[in-house]
Amino acid sequence: MAERYGMVNPAIFEDLQARVDEDTTVRDELRDIIQTLEKQSRSVQFVLSRAHSTLASAIPEVVTAAEGSIENEVETILKLSQAASKLPYYKWNAMWSRQIQDAAFGILFCGWLGGYTPKGSEAKPGRLLTIEEVGEIMKIPVNLKGVDSFHLTIEEYLQALISLVDELARLARNSVTLGDYRRPLLISQFIKDLHAGFQILNLKNDALRRRSDGIKYRVKEVEDVVYDLSLRNLVPKAGEI
Amino acid sequence: MGKKRTFEDTMDDPSKPQSASPIVAMFEGFRSELDEHHDRRERVIKASRDITAASKKLIFSLQRVRKLNHPIPLFVVKANAQYWQTIESQYRAISSDLQRLNAYRYRSNITGGNQEFMEALSFQHYLETQSLISYEEAGHRIASMGGEGGSVLLTPEDYILGIFDMVGELMRFAITSMATSGKLPGGESRRQKHPREETSGGQDADKMELDRQVSGQDEQKPPRRDVLADLRELRLHLEGFDPPLGEKFADDVDKKIVVMRQCVEKVETALYGLVMRGQERPKGWIPDLTEQRRAPEQVEGY
Repeated sequence: MAERYGMVNPAIFEDLQARVDEDTTVRDELRDIIQTLEKQSRSVQFVLSRAHSTLASAIPEVVTAAEGSIENEVETILKLSQAASKLPYYKWNAMWSRQIQDAAFGILFCGWLGGYTPKGSEAKPGRLLTIEEVGEIMKIPVNLKGVDSFHLTIEEYLQALISLVDELARLARNSVTLGDYRRPLLISQFIKDLHAGFQILNLKNDALRRRSDGIKYRVKEVEDVVYDLSLRNLVPKAGEI
Repeated sequence: MGKKRTFEDTMDDPSKPQSASPIVAMFEGFRSELDEHHDRRERVIKASRDITAASKKLIFSLQRVRKLNHPIPLFVVKANAQYWQTIESQYRAISSDLQRLNAYRYRSNITGGNQEFMEALSFQHYLETQSLISYEEAGHRIASMGGEGGSVLLTPEDYILGIFDMVGELMRFAITSMATSGKLPGGESRRQKHPREETSGGQDADKMELDRQVSGQDEQKPPRRDVLADLRELRLHLEGFDPPLGEKFADDVDKKIVVMRQCVEKVETALYGLVMRGQERPKGWIPDLTEQRRAPEQVEGY
């Protein structure tokens, strides 16, 4: 091999360019899928937002509609998962993490309203879907450690839980407006439990920490609603439930 | 944290009496997972810092090298042995934390160390061979230091950004050499200067005589390049490189490209000064030149 080039073997930069160009192609492909997911996620939120203006008796209809539109999302997640499983997960994870969090939130909220009830049991509000259940609904594995494949991370699930807390605080007030005085109690207990859960975590100064700091304010907001109700003797007795 | 559990237990929810403890248990699971993650991250960050510090010291010693395209002098090798050892032990210590999924998970935590080491590695490689180390070779080098834990990944981004920084080292190397020996490392520039020296310098170019002898040995070989030629070539390649748009990497490249151009220009400016004053030097008009003339002798006697 004679010295046919100077200091730099041109092949070095040709190869590197090819590598980053390949990444660009991958990114474009993923972006299309993720945009679809984002659109579908918006329509799920659209359906679920009806819960704020729907009496408890009519909630099952909202839930059924939401489950239907979540199914579309799951199809897209499957596509994403197939495309992404060929790639190093954390190299690309930031691209879709937000959208997956939103999808997980939709599923969690739907589950809380009484969706995804296991066969044979009665649908009732207030259920917390575990990360495993959310993963099952999304048809993707969760919290992978060994295998480098597409999955739902703990951080994403926790972010979705925080969104759920925000949404439920809003629902507590709106329930009262609808004349439902029982739901705020259920919500209050539910988000207190989650708040206690989050306090167990040793969070570093990251995105999760910043958002989870807001949970205590949601707890207080809902406590205020419950306080307003109890002050006026509107809290249903345990026997009435 | 046990306090929380008792808090949970005392909470009495008539509708779901069992709700509290499963949530707490679930979060306890998350806590241990997240703790593991944070510990791993901290270890990687610390190793990255240590690798960065040791790489800076490597570079510092390497800047004392004066000869291009030669094995690294023994005194530098000796001085650097401990830093190599530090770097290797740091890579070995965290390699198991950077396997499979985690190779990319913590890449933003290790990239600082990787880039700095890349800078040191490519600088040493350049001093030894006057050529740019390839991405593969650099990757193998880092991978081999991982030991039993597996290899540590060097991304193209780490490599490119490290090379950008290496340009700064080449600049320093070139300018120090010019200041101490009055010439640019590498052979080519001497050859180009010959005609000019002969026409302008004349009989009293005593120092130039010495240079000519040095370059005379090169004449049988293919023309040798000097550091500036190499810098210009590297600049062309780095400028020709097209990073993906909208990535953080592209921003980094944009920033570094400005610095890189300044570095090349500094060497060009210094060489301009050397050529200008180099012509005046034999006439002995400029006082500070007497110092410059003494300097090379010191170095050669070194």
